[in-house]
Amino acid sequence: MSNRNIEERLSDYIDALNNEREPESGAAEKDQELGKLIETVHKVRTLREPSLPDEGYPKRLAQVVACEIQKDKRGAFSKPGKSPSKSILKTLLPITAVAVCLLVFVLVNSLGIFEQDVVYAMEKAVAKLNNYHGILEIRTRNAAGEEWLVRRVELWYEGDKYAVKQDDGTLTVSNGQRKWQINHEDREVVILPLLPDPTRNGFDLQDEAKRAKQYPHTVVKTEMIAGREAIKLAISPPGGEKYYLWVDKETNLPIQLQTAMQKALQTTYTFVSFEPNIGISPEIFAYRVPEGYRVVEEDSGQLVATIEEAAALSGFIPLLPKQAPIRILAFQDRIVLDYGDTTIVESKASGEFKLEPNASLGSAAGGPLEIWYERLRWRQDGLEIRVEGAKRLELAREIAADLSIPDANQDLAGKAKVKVPVDMEIVKANQKQVDSGSSPWQLDPVHVALTFVNLKVTPEGIQGEPQIEIPSFELVTNDSVEAVVEVKEGPIERVYLKRLVRHDETGIWTVVGYDPR
Amino acid sequence: MLTADMYERAIEGDQDAIEEICLATWKPLYLFIYNKVQNREEAEDITQEAYIKSLKYLQESTFPIDNFLSFMKTVSLNLIRDRWRQKNRSRVSINFQEINPEDVARGDEQNDIAQRLLLESALAKLSQEQKAIIDLRIIKGYTVAETAKLLGKTEGAIRTAQYRALKALAKILDESAQKGQSNPKRRESGE
Repeated sequence: MSNRNIEERLSDYIDALNNEREPESGAAEKDQELGKLIETVHKVRTLREPSLPDEGYPKRLAQVVACEIQKDKRGAFSKPGKSPSKSILKTLLPITAVAVCLLVFVLVNSLGIFEQDVVYAMEKAVAKLNNYHGILEIRTRNAAGEEWLVRRVELWYEGDKYAVKQDDGTLTVSNGQRKWQINHEDREVVILPLLPDPTRNGFDLQDEAKRAKQYPHTVVKTEMIAGREAIKLAISPPGGEKYYLWVDKETNLPIQLQTAMQKALQTTYTFVSFEPNIGISPEIFAYRVPEGYRVVEEDSGQLVATIEEAAALSGFIPLLPKQAPIRILAFQDRIVLDYGDTTIVESKASGEFKLEPNASLGSAAGGPLEIWYERLRWRQDGLEIRVEGAKRLELAREIAADLSIPDANQDLAGKAKVKVPVDMEIVKANQKQVDSGSSPWQLDPVHVALTFVNLKVTPEGIQGEPQIEIPSFELVTNDSVEAVVEVKEGPIERVYLKRLVRHDETGIWTVVGYDPR
Repeated sequence: MLTADMYERAIEGDQDAIEEICLATWKPLYLFIYNKVQNREEAEDITQEAYIKSLKYLQESTFPIDNFLSFMKTVSLNLIRDRWRQKNRSRVSINFQEINPEDVARGDEQNDIAQRLLLESALAKLSQEQKAIIDLRIIKGYTVAETAKLLGKTEGAIRTAQYRALKALAKILDESAQKGQSNPKRRESGE
């Protein structure tokens, strides 16, 4: 810090205040000039509106103050008259404080406040996390209860830099400017595109803290995870499946994440070792080619400052949302716009626009819009556009103003000329079968329609190739709850399907009606 | 309406009384602290500490209850001072030697208005580019990268320009303060 120049230190101080964080201590230590400039920054900031705490703060404040006053009255845990040296909200999690506070919470029957505090403390701890080194284990379990270790990786993280070492020694590093992978077996260094960056996804501490705060959550219990005492939180995203996050009691940082069962698989990410805020050697993130290794560089893209530069490199002008991207990466055939938690990838449209079989369908720029998990994809003005991430809808609508997502309350099945009776017991059994990994075709409305229509043609069963083949089937509507498939030949013109058990991508489709030709 | 009885109960640790006092008074206290520290993290922590310290003080001493908010403001100023001493932080914006609890009790609205006018007139003396950088970086809160993009400059150039702009502003503010001191009549009427 002391070696950095005054301009950088001043800028960091301003950044901390802009992020509503306490600036690093010692920022102006023994530096009169910096002290003076910081004083001026504070004065200027009084011209802006103050940032208020979240809605829950006054209640939380009252709880903590009451807890501390009661503790003091009982004379336990603290000396009379001595004020706490640290904020209690910050140190609420250590066991002694929790013991006292829990007593109060039980008395007032208000676990909700405690839950907020766990998440609040985690949010603060994550905000203060400058870097970490840890070993992350990724395990998967299927619906039958079988569990296996997918991989174990060693991680170094600092700001926008990270390094990930796989079991086999393969090291992937991104230093914010460049991303590469060192493969010892092939003795090569592969230069990778900086964006999009799926390596970073998975168990991102910042994202998890943000989600936990944003979504309804409850404290389940305290458990030992990798030898550490952790609070288990159940998080319920609206319209999504409940998942679990474990927060280390000592550091207030998330140490384990367990996803909901998705496509019959559940993944658990566990930090089996974790060292936050340590000195990480800059060597870890330095680009160096080991002696005797060859460098493999295909089109890894180039960071550019303006859209014009990107257009010159990629040979087309991308369509832009109103918001400016944080970074622009240009490739020979595509342009990537980085918005932090959301990425836009644009390329020249070529060939047929093929939709993911299980995707929901909306419309954008007068054509179909594919909605697939957290990704939107459509074609506009000769370009194919993919928007993936948290702000996908907001950004996509800035590009295609007419973008519409399907309305899930259309009652399409009601329009079917012939209704097909459904036995829910069979449907539930089929869903379980698919959850455990078999008959995945039931997740694809086109394949379910194909099976249904061909069984109408050959009721004795489908032998070999179906009589009416897949090119005759076209998915015309899918609002994620209901779907309509049109058939170009045969006795049935239109098939109506519904997700009767679950309405997300893991739910199977069942035929509920059809229109005879 | 906060009554003496409510304070009595709060001192005894009565949950409802503490909640009523906190809900009625947290915002002016928080805004007062925020004005000094200029970040939410510290403002939240110090607000909490100020309540605890003030109520504990009342357990052993007496203080006119109708002035409880201004008493907490004074306590919070002491907390900020201790905190910054501990952390070797610059003594920003507050000259603790000059703090007078009675002044604090009267509130700083007038001071705030005077400081705002002074600042606005000082900012008006900066060049267009300096004003733009201060506006984007400090008042609007853009990052260096965003500011660089908006002004068509490199990030390094923004840091340098921001440093120079603040230096120029500090100088103008100092000169205004000196003028104010050398003209006591004007200062009195201004206050």
